[in-house]
Amino acid sequence: MTKVGIARGIFYYYYGDIWKNFFDYLKVPYIISPNTNKEIMENGMKYANDEMCLAFKTYLGHVSYLIDKCDYLIIPRIDNYKLDNQTCTNFLSAYDIVKNTFDIKILNYNIALDKHQNLKQGLINIGKQLGFSKEQSKKAYKYAVGLYKKDRARDITINMGKLNSNKTKILLLAHPYNTYDDLIGRDIIKYLNANNIEVIFSDKFDDKITNKLSEKITKDLYFKYSKDNIGALIYAKDKIDGVIFLSAFPCGPDSLTNELVMRKIDIPHINLVLDSNSSFTGIETRLESFIDMLKGGF
Amino acid sequence: MHKISFPLMGDYNVPIEFLLKHAFKEEIIMPPPITSKTIELGTKYSPEFVCTPFKYTLGTMLEAIEKGADTLIQMGGGCRYGYYGEVQDQILKDLGYNVTLINLVTKGKVDIRRIVKELKETGIKYSKLKAIYYGFIAIKMVKYMDIIDDYIRENIGFEVKDGSFETLKFKMLNDFRQVKSYLELKKLYRYYLKEIQNVPIRKPDKCLKIGIIGELYTVMEPFSNYFLEKELSQNQIEIKRFTNVHYLLFEKKHKIKKYLKYSKKYIKYQMGADAADNIARTKYLCEAGYDGIIHIKSSFCTPEIGAMPIINKIASEYETPVLFFSFDANTSETGIKTRLEAFYDMLEMRKEK
Amino acid sequence: MKDSYLGVDIGSISTKGVIIDDDNNIITSSYIWTEGNPIKAVRKLIDILKKDLPNNYQIKGIGTTGSARKLIGLLLKANIVKNEITAHAVGTLTFYPNVRTILEIGGQDSKIILIKNGIITNYAMNTLCAAGTGSFLSSQAKRLGLDVSEFGAYALKSKNPVKIAARCTVFAESDLVHKAQVGYPIEDIVAGLCKSIVLNYLNNVGKGKKIESPIIFQGGVSKNVGVIKYFKEILGEDIIVDENGHLMGAIGIAVLARKNKIGKTYSLELSNIAFDTKAIECGRCPNNCELLKIYRNNELVDSWGSKCGKY
Repeated sequence: MTKVGIARGIFYYYYGDIWKNFFDYLKVPYIISPNTNKEIMENGMKYANDEMCLAFKTYLGHVSYLIDKCDYLIIPRIDNYKLDNQTCTNFLSAYDIVKNTFDIKILNYNIALDKHQNLKQGLINIGKQLGFSKEQSKKAYKYAVGLYKKDRARDITINMGKLNSNKTKILLLAHPYNTYDDLIGRDIIKYLNANNIEVIFSDKFDDKITNKLSEKITKDLYFKYSKDNIGALIYAKDKIDGVIFLSAFPCGPDSLTNELVMRKIDIPHINLVLDSNSSFTGIETRLESFIDMLKGGF
Repeated sequence: MHKISFPLMGDYNVPIEFLLKHAFKEEIIMPPPITSKTIELGTKYSPEFVCTPFKYTLGTMLEAIEKGADTLIQMGGGCRYGYYGEVQDQILKDLGYNVTLINLVTKGKVDIRRIVKELKETGIKYSKLKAIYYGFIAIKMVKYMDIIDDYIRENIGFEVKDGSFETLKFKMLNDFRQVKSYLELKKLYRYYLKEIQNVPIRKPDKCLKIGIIGELYTVMEPFSNYFLEKELSQNQIEIKRFTNVHYLLFEKKHKIKKYLKYSKKYIKYQMGADAADNIARTKYLCEAGYDGIIHIKSSFCTPEIGAMPIINKIASEYETPVLFFSFDANTSETGIKTRLEAFYDMLEMRKEK
Repeated sequence: MKDSYLGVDIGSISTKGVIIDDDNNIITSSYIWTEGNPIKAVRKLIDILKKDLPNNYQIKGIGTTGSARKLIGLLLKANIVKNEITAHAVGTLTFYPNVRTILEIGGQDSKIILIKNGIITNYAMNTLCAAGTGSFLSSQAKRLGLDVSEFGAYALKSKNPVKIAARCTVFAESDLVHKAQVGYPIEDIVAGLCKSIVLNYLNNVGKGKKIESPIIFQGGVSKNVGVIKYFKEILGEDIIVDENGHLMGAIGIAVLARKNKIGKTYSLELSNIAFDTKAIECGRCPNNCELLKIYRNNELVDSWGSKCGKY
């Protein structure tokens, strides 16, 4: 039976669970690349252009890991959720870049809500390529999204519940593909937890609320994921003690949005920009002094 | 009285100034020409890893403010360029300047209603009728300039008398500034087109032909690309360039579908800004027998970064050499010259064989 | 009298000179440090070459290459001035007509040149940043308290090279310091540096380039056995390092000087030639270009650095 490969990077952190549910329902076997490790990152750097952002380099490393382990890779293209909610160019170009760099068949769909291309059609299309009827795929889609929404609601409740914690609270403002990547955000979260900090994640809020809320800081922004993050900050700002901006060098949207937000807020914050070889010692020093400051421990 | 200004790009300040002068009943401040000081200023106040056009446009804004401007116009879209305005506005405010920044393109489109509202809020006086009429003339002016530039680019390397084209073009732009009507513009255009076509040139049959592609601002603002076109022309090279304002405003929309179809062996989708356009152009340049391709962009330009591996692949399939440049505020000029020289040498050697 | 041709390659770190005959045989050659003063270095270089040149040879062509090629071209009245990429390729092809790939890591530049049937088909240079080049290596060596010439030997001792970030000089330096502070053995750090230079080179300069055999490795860093080892290991191919590798640019430009000779005979007597440069800030516009005016025997022969081209 054909096996689908899911690269643990970029899209995975938004759609991975839905894909897993979808393939589970259709009993399509799939393989997910492991947590990012040094080998994956180094492989990514081999294929990536030098100036690509760290997260995308890593993504290409995950793709290369899967090349000889599956029949298809699933790589969507996410263009927009309407014109005022667009994505960065990596979400637009990943499919074509992979297609030109590797020799592998790709399951692809496009999300462009301004042109009425949505996830449902996308998954039905993929089902078709794998030999399933429209009906079967529709059912699988319904199952996948239903389950995802339930899980997501639970995650959001837990995350937002932390806003009432008695501990020192820090909002980690970052794209999930950075936050949860083993070589990007994991050590930071681990360090914060070990220091008795309540870490709140900017990606685990209800985007129906946060997306709109972002307009309080920026009226012209059209990057969906950045807007959601900024909205989360506005939602949480009176309940948190500090913010950590974490981004992957040289992220296009973050270079502007984080700059703007940092100029506009008056909450204690630090800006961490990670490159492929940033040593954790340097980051640790900055985290430590930041926490000291928040706890008034000087 | 408001004092309005705008960032510079190539020679397009001529039609923009022309339009603003006629449409607004306000003073128009021309920013000084872009110099090293512009980019120094811009870099000093810009976020660290933003693409270079942000720094250039912020630099010109600061220089315009120095000259007294209190209202600035920013335009552009496609990638993060469309978000420059809001961030630049905040940076200027934090620097203590009391200026209004009007963004013509917001969220990927020209929102006329919003622009009108902002103009009203600022109290800028303008005439709607004149804006439409002179807007039309300005657009035609852009078109004529672009046609003439295309011709010059192909031939300037071969002019018999050095500087003939530049002198003529300088005169033309000066005359364009003064026109009163569309008819007058059209007459002038016809006159200059003829003059320019009559400039004596000595072009060998086997001259080198190079296509320039890349990120739009870097392609169109000569200072930001270290006067690449001039450098090439001094080495008797015919230059082909696709990106100009007329293309971006009027041709891109329908051409992009053709481009995608033409390059469907390589790509299925657009990849932001002009990335897909440049991929198609690469294929075209290879098939049309150009000797080489130069791809230029500012550092960290994400759409072009995505296009580069694909451009590289196409060019190597056709065995056409590509030279990539990523310009930053502190790029070394000698480094560029060395690479360019080696590029011509290589192309010449290939041609001789 | 036999004809001969002088090629001079003036780099940021070293200045190389060679005199060849009509059959590309090296009659004499020299290699000295530039020490930030290309004019002085070339005067010294010419003196050395002159002493070694047998009396029955006359110079019928002079070529200059390297970063100071234009300046020295004026000093020597060279009949050809060419960039170092072309010069290196021509020089290497003279001795290795079948070469397919030239890897070169010099003082400030690194480059790759691909060759097919004796012509350059593609090349790339580092992205205008000195990370991973010779000067980077020597500054890191200094930090570790080593001489750069011992570096390669140290690297060979290591079994576990440490991973060093060499993408950017600043990152690399902090990483290096950190690794040394936490107590990694020095040979592992040195080996890590050598390996990272190779990886960085392949990921940057060599990106998207098909590296085919025969491969020749040149430039100052090709003297480093550690770097050679990792090139071999990572590419899985044999790497040729010519003992005259550092002279290839000079040889190439000498060959080009022969091909472009104009029938003139040159003198190598420089002591009676006054050669000065004067730097002034223009100040006529905000570009404030630094103009460099060049005088040969007190006569203005050239002026560089103006953006507008007027001065």
